[in-house]
Parts: sequence; structure tokens; C-alpha cells
Amino acid sequence: MAKLIATPLSALVDEPVHIRVTGLAPSQIVFLEASLKDERGILFSSQASYRASEVGDVDLERDSSLGGDYVGVHPMGLFWSLKPEKPFSRLAKRDVIDSPYRVHLKLQDQYSLLTGVDISPLDSLILERWYVAPDVTRIQVKEGRLRGALFLPPGEGPFPGVVDLFGATGGLTEFRASLLASHGFASFALAYMGYDDLPPQLERVDLEYFEEAVEFLLRHPKVLGPGVGLVSTCFGAEIGLSMAINLKQITAAVLINGPTFVTTVPHVYHGQVNQPVPYNIEFVTTNSLGLTEFYKVHEETVGKDSKYCLPIEKAQGQFLFVVGEDDKNQNSKVHVDQAIAQLTRSGKKNWMLLSYPGAGHVIEPPYAPLCPGSRMRFLAPYLSWGGEVLPHAAAQEHCWREIQKFLKKHLLPDLSCQL
Amino acid sequence: MFQLIATPSNALADEPVSIRATGLPPSQIVTIKATLKDEKENLFQSKAFYQANNAGEVDLEQASALGGDYVGVHPMGLFWSLKPRRVFQRLIKKDVNSPFCITLDLYDSVCLADSVPTLPKASQIVQRWFVGPGVQREQIREGRVRGTLFLPSGEGPFPGIIDLFGKIGGLIEFRAGLLASHGFAVLALAYFAYEDLPGKLVEKDLDYFEEAANFLLAHPKIQQPGIGVIGVCKGAEIALAMACYLKQVVATVWINGSSLILDFPLRYRDLVVTPAQMALEHSQVHVSGAMRFRYNIDDLWSKLNPQSILPVEKAQGRILFIVGENDGCVDSKIHAQRAMERLRSHRRSNGRMLSYPGAGHLIEPPYSPFCFASWNNELGNAVLWGGDPAAHTAAQEHSWREIRKFFRQHLPHSGSKL
Repeated sequence: MAKLIATPLSALVDEPVHIRVTGLAPSQIVFLEASLKDERGILFSSQASYRASEVGDVDLERDSSLGGDYVGVHPMGLFWSLKPEKPFSRLAKRDVIDSPYRVHLKLQDQYSLLTGVDISPLDSLILERWYVAPDVTRIQVKEGRLRGALFLPPGEGPFPGVVDLFGATGGLTEFRASLLASHGFASFALAYMGYDDLPPQLERVDLEYFEEAVEFLLRHPKVLGPGVGLVSTCFGAEIGLSMAINLKQITAAVLINGPTFVTTVPHVYHGQVNQPVPYNIEFVTTNSLGLTEFYKVHEETVGKDSKYCLPIEKAQGQFLFVVGEDDKNQNSKVHVDQAIAQLTRSGKKNWMLLSYPGAGHVIEPPYAPLCPGSRMRFLAPYLSWGGEVLPHAAAQEHCWREIQKFLKKHLLPDLSCQL
Repeated sequence: MFQLIATPSNALADEPVSIRATGLPPSQIVTIKATLKDEKENLFQSKAFYQANNAGEVDLEQASALGGDYVGVHPMGLFWSLKPRRVFQRLIKKDVNSPFCITLDLYDSVCLADSVPTLPKASQIVQRWFVGPGVQREQIREGRVRGTLFLPSGEGPFPGIIDLFGKIGGLIEFRAGLLASHGFAVLALAYFAYEDLPGKLVEKDLDYFEEAANFLLAHPKIQQPGIGVIGVCKGAEIALAMACYLKQVVATVWINGSSLILDFPLRYRDLVVTPAQMALEHSQVHVSGAMRFRYNIDDLWSKLNPQSILPVEKAQGRILFIVGENDGCVDSKIHAQRAMERLRSHRRSNGRMLSYPGAGHLIEPPYSPFCFASWNNELGNAVLWGGDPAAHTAAQEHSWREIRKFFRQHLPHSGSKL
């Protein structure tokens, strides 16, 4: 009697699941399908085919998929290969506290994709994938100008503090901060545009706003000082770099696929202004999938002259650069190489680079499906994020561990302090 | 004064167009956009950004696109890089009595967005026809044969060709119309999902295709004693089967098909050939969600019933295998190579293979928009065709010339204008 087993059934979204099947005929071909409906009602699904062993079992930690959304031995393949029924939709959890993603796992003995008929599965399970660990608390932040959400681990603390910044999508993206809190960090998901009463678009990056956020975090009784960390992506990483340069309280900055120079609007800090670097919009290309690639627009300026790089050598904290070498939105590798060269020329060794061939722009916590492209607003062009499915998935798994290690190393007083 | 000149503005769809913009400010970056609405009002668009020279001109035959839907020097780039507004749509002309109308617009700045708030500085409409002047189109319902016959103008007789498409079914006429415009008498032949033909493809009934071949050869305007067949995908498999079993077939063009009988049996008189079965568990899903049916078939080939392999050594005519090496649907290179090996092992030298690196499955007449995947209603999914746009386009241009040359050389003809 065929049985589908998955452990754990309920877990954090960045924890692996062990999936097995027992009770099959020897060498029987079966199909595993995973599906979930996101908060907009869009169905994401994946499937893979396996051949049972001589004793009629399948173990995703041991066996190679024969086909489907991935091929080879990939225990978490069903998760990171999920694909939307509405092409180029991005999976991004909005509510992180009250509900998990419910993933339906089904075992079939027929290729249901082509029959067009709804067949009853041999067995099925529902998995819960949470963005918060039990007893993590979420506090809506509306202090002075600051808008965002603070996530605190359970317990008295104090905990190392982290500011979490996403990119030019704006709004408030909370899922990474909530996960970091689940791993012992007091994490402040900070909004800066397109949220609540914040301006819909930025006319300038006012670094004093971000300084207020850092001071707010450090004032909190459950936050360990004297400095904080930063995890930031894309435009958020551009801001993060300016923060690390100007604010001495930034002890450890993780910059993921961010520009190392000023892109769209000036950065302003106490009267000091850094102007945006000129770019050539005519270098934007559209690929065969209809997705628009922006990574060449700074080729003539930043690509040819490293003078545009922000004065990164002035930063006192540590840097972890995360680069997806197949990023089609930013020329991440080239820009980070310039920043590292500048640090090296100044005799500084306060950096670490994780550069992943085949990874794209949207490097997220592990097992998140690769989104080849999506649009940020209705009517805007679909942007290409780049990345190849397998290397991107591997990059996400690897760098999430490294990010946490990096933050703990530099934010905790010594390693014997267990969280 | 801004001008956009496209010549010829009225031509066959396989003819190149020269596009020039003049009257621009020197060194100005401009956008040239192409827009087309298909017969169901689906929008297809493309654009490219160019820099005017010192004389304020952009000549697409020489100028290099800086960005947009293609980069580099591609005089016909605006045509083959046309993309559907909604993903997974494929551009196919259904009614060949009317042209596709493409609107070319010139803007004196970089226009990224699909809908531009400003009016273009200059516009030109270009008509692309799938039948040339004087080509006659006749619907055929003779015996079991269902299709459309295209005859060039004049007395003839003309070399005859049967044109077959694949699992799309129905009746697709555009390639037959174009071939006829180059002097061939072409029967676009339907074989399922059309009129009173079977709704689904359940077997390949070679007797039906022989009936169609005989119909052509009996036509007063068609040159005896043999005809050609051109087929793509499932149509190529059938074309190759016709070449093997029907002496009426003297020249066969096989595009990205199979050299095995696949999935459905082949019937011819008393012969029934059991098919090899594709293992669905090996098909994969592309990052876009489209199904990639191609997989490594070495295993399949080593285990199949030898009877399922098409006996190409029996073909009396010539065979041209056209392969897109990036075909996402079928590993056509393996199929073509195995057929060529089989010919060689039987000391036949009537086969030739043209293999195009970077080309995908849908190798069509030149300047057809590159389509990486399109929706299949029966599957309820998109199918990945594969290919790299620039390489695919070059393959289309090259292979179309080769196909016409091949038919001119190997079909009987008697002084009719080709």
C-alpha cells in the first residue's frame, strides 16, 4: 500500500523536509507533485518522476528524479522548482505571522499533467511552511518617521540587531526579517517608500532616516549593541552601502546584488550629497521570454571607470557581498569587484565575497522558487532577474547559512555566546 | 523632417525589407517600433534603439541596434523579434488571402514602455503576404483528401509538393502559399482535427497520404512522375514514412521530426508498424513553465522494436534533413543522424543533413517571429520550442534557400519559371 512520508510536516520555510515513499512495486515509476496557492490565489506547482527501488521505496535524499521540474538528486527540488500557473508571478509571502504556506504533496502513478483528468492520488500530505518560529513576536513600528515591523526572538535577549532592507519594489517585505528573528536576531524590516504615509517614490535617499532606524533599534531594550547588522538587497543594498559608509553603528553589512554607486536618486547625509551616476537606458534589452534586462545600463560609465564607486573604504564595519553572477538586472559581479578593488587599494580587509555562478538577482532564503522575471507594478515591463534553476537554488542554501554565520561572528561579543 | 522609409512596403513575407530613418538630429538616440495585430487581435511588438549618424540617418542594413529586442546589425530584426503581449502566443497566419500589416513607428527618444504617451515622429505600414500575385488558391475536397492547393500563375505543369505541419492539427497554409509563390504547386494537406477528418491523431494512415500524392500527380498542372513532401515535427515523420513507402515521392524535406514511428502506429495497406513510445516521465519543465519534451533517447533507441525504425533505405527519392540543434521538443539531431547512418550502412547516398546550432524546433520561412514556447490547448500547458533568437533566424534564412534549391534540383520540371 503506497505511502507518502514527509518530515517534518510543519517547519520553518528554510528547513529541509525529508520526503520518502514506501509500499510501491519494485521499479515502479511514480510522480510526486507539490502545489500551493499564494495569498493572491495563484497556484504554484511542481512535479518530478522517480523509479522505486527493488524494495519498492523512493527516498528523495538518495534517489535521482528522472524528469519533471528538476532532474537528479534534489531532496528539496519540489519546493525550489515550484512554478506559477500565471507565468512570471513571484512567490512572496506577505503575512508572515499568522499563516504558513500550505504545500500539498501528492503521489501519483500516472502522468496527470497530460491526461487533463483529475486522478485521485495514491497518497497525499499537507506540509506547513512557516516564516516565523513559535513565539517570535512582531511589533508594528510607527515611531517618528520610521515605518516597518520589528521581529523579536522569544526570550529576554538581548539579541543582535539587524536592519533588513529590500529593493525598489517599495512597500514592506517582512519574510526575511521574520526568518532572521527565528534564528535569534532582533530584525527590523524597514520600509522607506510606498508604504503607509511614506512617499510612493523617493526623490532622494535621506540617510538620516536610516540613521534614525539604526538608533531606534539600538535603543530597544532587547537589542544587543553597540552596533547592528544590515541585510539588504538591490536598491536596499545601495542604501545599505551608504549606511555602512556613513554610520559607524553598522558593524556588519550584507549586500546582496546591490549597486556600489548611486543609481537613481541622490544620497544625502547632513548636507553631503552623492549624485546618481549617468546611465544609458538605450542599453536595456528584452530577452526571448519577453523579460527586460537592465544590467547593461551602466556599461559606459561604471563599466569603464571605477571612480563612481561610493567611498567604501570609509566604512568601519565588515562587508559580506553576495553576488549572483547571472544577475540580469544589475551587473553585480563587475560592480562588487570594483568595490573590493577599492577596499584592497586602501589596504582594507574587512570584506568577504560569495560569488555564485548561475545565480540570479533574487537571492532569497533557501528553497524559494527561482523567479525568472516579474513586474514591480501593473503596466511596467517584466524585469528579467536571471539565474538558472539548479545553481540558484544551491546559492540560496549556501549563502543563507553564511549570512547568519557572518552576522553572528561580528555582532556577538564572542562565539561562546549561544543563541 | 523626420522620415521612416521601408522598402518594399508590400511584399512576400519571406522577402527582406530595407528600413531607413532620416531627418534626425545628428547622434540622436531613436526608437523604432514594430506592431502587428494578428487575426484574433493579439498584439505583437518589437523595438530597437539606434543612434543616428552625423547625417541624422539610421540605416538598418548598417546600423547596430544598441538595445531593445535585439542588439547588433539585424536589418530584419524588428520582424523576427516581434513578441506577443501575452506570453506563449505564437504568430501564425491563418487566412492567406490577406497580408499581415506591420506598423513601423519612429520615436526621437528611447521608449522603453510598451504603450508610449507621445505620438511617433514618423510611421510606415508594411504588408507581408503569404501568397504572391497570380497564385491561385483552391480548396480541395476530393475523396478523403482535405486541404488547399496553391498553383503558381501560368500554364505549368509545375513541380508538385505536399506540405505537412505537425501536432498542431487543422490546416496551416502559409508555407504552402509561399512555396507556390516561388513556382511550386503545393498542397497544404490536413490529416486530423479538420473538417471530417479524425478529431485526434490516433494513427498515421499512409493510404490517406498516398491518395493525396496521387491526387496531385493526376492534376493537369502538376509535373509527373513524382512529387515532393515537406513536413515539420509530426509532419516530418509522416513525410519520411511517405518517402520510404511511396514511390510517388521523389524529394522529401524533413524538419525537426522523428525517424522512428512514434506514439501512434503507422498503417499502409496490410502493414501495421507499432510505434515506439516516448517516456513522459523524462520530459522536463522549463523555468517559464513550458514543457520540454526532448530528452536523451539513447535508451529508448536501444530498447525499441527495430520495426519501429523507418526503413529509409527503401526511399527512392532524395531526403533533406533539417535540424535545429536546440530543439526543445525533440532531439531531431539524433533522429536525423541515425537515419543518415542507416542510409550509409545500406550504401545509399540520397540523404543530406543541414544541422543548425542554436536553432529551435519551429524552423519556418525567414523573418517569422522567434517563438520560444507556445500554448497547447490539448495539453493545457505551454510547449517549449527552444532556440536562440539570432541563430534561429539565421537558420530560417539559410534553410529556406536550401529547401527551394533542393526542390528545384530534385523535382521534375519542364521549363516553368522558378
